[in-house]
Amino acid sequence: MKITVWGQELSAWVARAQLASYGNTVYLATGETEPVVSQLRSEPGLLSALQLAQFNERLIVDEQLALTAEVHWFSMSPDDADYALELVKTIAQTISGPLLIVNQSNFGVGMCDLMQAQLGSELQQVVYLPDLLQAGQAMQQFVTPEALLIGTDSSTAKASLLALLRPFHLGQRTIQQMTCREAEFVKYAITGLLALRLGYINEMAGLCDQLNLDMDAIRRGMSTDKRIGTHYLQPGCGFGGLQFTQYLQGLAELLTGRRGSVLIDTVLAQNEVNKEWPFRTLWQHYNCELENRRIAIWGAAFKAGVADIDNAPALRVIDALLAQGAEVCVHDPEAMQALAERYPKTQKFSLATSAYDACKQADALLLLTDWPEYGSPDFPRLKRSMQQALIIDGRNLYDPHRVQQEGFVYYTRGRNCLSHPASLSEQTETA
Amino acid sequence: MSPAWNKLLASADRLRGVHLRDLLRTKDRFESLSFSAAHLMLDLSRQRVDSQVFNELIALAEERDLRAAIKSLLNGQIVNPTENRPALHSALRMPQESSLVIEGVDLVSGVHETLAQMEKFVEKIHAGQWRGYTGRAISQVVNIGVGGSDLGPLMTCEALNEFRPPEAEGVDIHFVSSMDGSQLSNLLLELNPETTHFVLSSKSFGTLDTLANASTAIDWLMERSGLSRKQLLRQHFIGVTSAPDKAISWGISEHNILRFWDWTGGRYSLWSGIGLPIALTTGMQGFKELLAGANAMDRHFAEAPYEQNLPVLLALLGIWNINFQDIHAHAILPYDGRLAHLPAYLEQLEMESNGKSVKLDGELVQTRTCPILWGEIGPNAQHAFYQLLHQGTERVMSDFIVPARRYEGRSTGLIEQHQLALANCLAQARVLALGDAALSDAEQRPAWQRYAGNQPSSVILLETLTPASLGSLIAMYEHKVYIQAVIWGINPFDQWGVELGKKVANDLIDSLRQQSCEGYDQATSGLLARIQKLQQEN
Repeated sequence: MKITVWGQELSAWVARAQLASYGNTVYLATGETEPVVSQLRSEPGLLSALQLAQFNERLIVDEQLALTAEVHWFSMSPDDADYALELVKTIAQTISGPLLIVNQSNFGVGMCDLMQAQLGSELQQVVYLPDLLQAGQAMQQFVTPEALLIGTDSSTAKASLLALLRPFHLGQRTIQQMTCREAEFVKYAITGLLALRLGYINEMAGLCDQLNLDMDAIRRGMSTDKRIGTHYLQPGCGFGGLQFTQYLQGLAELLTGRRGSVLIDTVLAQNEVNKEWPFRTLWQHYNCELENRRIAIWGAAFKAGVADIDNAPALRVIDALLAQGAEVCVHDPEAMQALAERYPKTQKFSLATSAYDACKQADALLLLTDWPEYGSPDFPRLKRSMQQALIIDGRNLYDPHRVQQEGFVYYTRGRNCLSHPASLSEQTETA
Repeated sequence: MSPAWNKLLASADRLRGVHLRDLLRTKDRFESLSFSAAHLMLDLSRQRVDSQVFNELIALAEERDLRAAIKSLLNGQIVNPTENRPALHSALRMPQESSLVIEGVDLVSGVHETLAQMEKFVEKIHAGQWRGYTGRAISQVVNIGVGGSDLGPLMTCEALNEFRPPEAEGVDIHFVSSMDGSQLSNLLLELNPETTHFVLSSKSFGTLDTLANASTAIDWLMERSGLSRKQLLRQHFIGVTSAPDKAISWGISEHNILRFWDWTGGRYSLWSGIGLPIALTTGMQGFKELLAGANAMDRHFAEAPYEQNLPVLLALLGIWNINFQDIHAHAILPYDGRLAHLPAYLEQLEMESNGKSVKLDGELVQTRTCPILWGEIGPNAQHAFYQLLHQGTERVMSDFIVPARRYEGRSTGLIEQHQLALANCLAQARVLALGDAALSDAEQRPAWQRYAGNQPSSVILLETLTPASLGSLIAMYEHKVYIQAVIWGINPFDQWGVELGKKVANDLIDSLRQQSCEGYDQATSGLLARIQKLQQEN
């Protein structure tokens, strides 16, 4: 089939790569056949698949041909809603026969209806396919989706989409059909609940520190209840990511505007407070005096497996440290370029090429992303190179007993009872 | 009395029986008695003057050589001889590229150094990077100060609240002044010590009221945090003062001091570091616009001929009312709720400045000086004390202050509300002047429904209320006060009258502590004894 994919989101590039590798011809209107943004380029498997598709001439840049495809896939940024409507109009003027528009963009509830209104005949349909891909595993998730959620009122549109996606469901996956508006909303609802879980568990971790409880024991206890399960229960120093935050902000606006509810606003605000937990712990450890302290940071990406630093806790921590006159040296396996762009020519800020280099002469190590390579460091080597053996772990990576045996002062989210039984840390904090 | 003064006395006699409604009928009255400069229009057409009086007032200005007096003020001569210093609030708003050298020192560069430091504080707080003792960002700022360290910033913050830039929205500003801790005790119940910052504003850093509140604040922080006074002072206090040494020995960190100079009077200090809460509200850009507005008025004051000089004219008409019309009550009536604190601000500015009866030469004054000022948001005062203005026995002069435009881009309901306020402002000024001549059927009404009118007023019309127009408005009043002081021959920049009470209070606090009531007059001794008895009973 001939498919044009519009947009620069992760889901757009994954769709191009996978639709092409399963035999379709994929058009782009303009630009390159690879993403420019470093965060997208480092998505596992994406770049090689795109290069192969281009080599096999199944990924073609052509402004004219792009408009003629019978399937148009929209994975655009939320800011491009107006452009998307214009585009639908142009496509409708070009194509008189059957046309399927698959929308994956976060344009809010009701946008598909507006797009549909631009189209001419019954044979031209807009369907909404919620973008459920997670960065870091997106290529795999596209080809083996857990389920397909399809938003459309038209059975012909549904059939066309299922035909297009047949290699990825083979008639065996659960298919949930709903209206376009419902499908547009589903992702908001999913994101909101995940954020509530994360926000809740982070609050519990803070409370555990005040009550001298081990959050890990509490978490294990909670997981035995099947209604709760094990996912999204790991406390940490806050969630981030561009898309996750965009959906949450969209949901927060809907809730506040339509219902006067501050539920998600509160989760978002509290998450910002959570992101600074490593900074506050360090600040209190050094009695509110961080000027010229040398601080090492491991991990800046908002989660392991991605190069994306949008809304990452590391940004708030780095900004806070720089504002207090501390020297900051950061290591991250993937996000170095994004960091260099975010902090160009910044005084007292540097990037280290290895995790151990970042810690040279450091007064503290802050662990902010749970990259596997930080999982089992050479603690004696770390201790020798650091000025002060102090680790503040925002991702609960280590066994508190072990780290302390190695001679470190160790703070971790929700488990301070194991390292600082009578600690004042966070004792005075109020929500 | 001088020749110019005597001519005015004669004119007062000449106009004694003339009603304002008749004066308002003269040709081109509004055109000849309304004046514009620096975002403001001053309408004096409802003052009880004719063109002859106007010219005689200008002659008085010339006779007293106001031009030289203005120069002395702005150039930094010793205009405050009892404290042997200049009064250079105008230097606080001079642009960076200008200079004012006094005894070999350029004051303007010092002023801009302080502004730069203020900008650092403001930016750090607005960026959420001024941290409290647990590391959370400061979101509440409490200004502790009294008099000039309170009224100016409070009035201005209230007036310019809608000019908050987005980065200022995360920071709430509070004001605490009262010596008895009333405001502070309520505030401390609501605030979170982790995110609360105190600005200690005291020119002398010796003001008891302020230090008492500061000490309660630091005790609260110590109790809630369990941390040392030193650490808390470093993270949670900024001092604004002209006595940095005293601030440092009190415990303020030397990095957290905004200094100003003894040539800035307390009630003229909102333009200095004392304006920190204003800058926290409007951002530095807004604060600089406020300064620029005031500077525009300063330049107008320095350059415009008497006949068009807003502060000079406002002062001269005040002199006419006080000394020649025997009016000793002055109402300040803003028709804009944002200016709610302007009356209290002007009460201090005018009465603390010109509430004097000894001249610069040490002689007692022979004329009346500052009248009693009071005021309230006009539409609210209409339901309170306007009755007295319309039908009482006191002569009162009034200043109506109102912006022409408000609520631009807001709902029609709000725009309509401003129209309502404007209509009431114009109506009240009209009725105060004309009395029931404003009605067609006055003659048929009973005595209690009659209105004498003939009460003079000025209207100060702002194009719109902005940092710049407010700066200009305040500067106009400051200079008006100075001009009146020059004409009366008094010093507007000292306040010895408030010293005696402080001294006696110091004696009395000892007596209260020691349970003694000896050595006072009967009234004081009697009350001391009674209070001590009541305190013991509990």
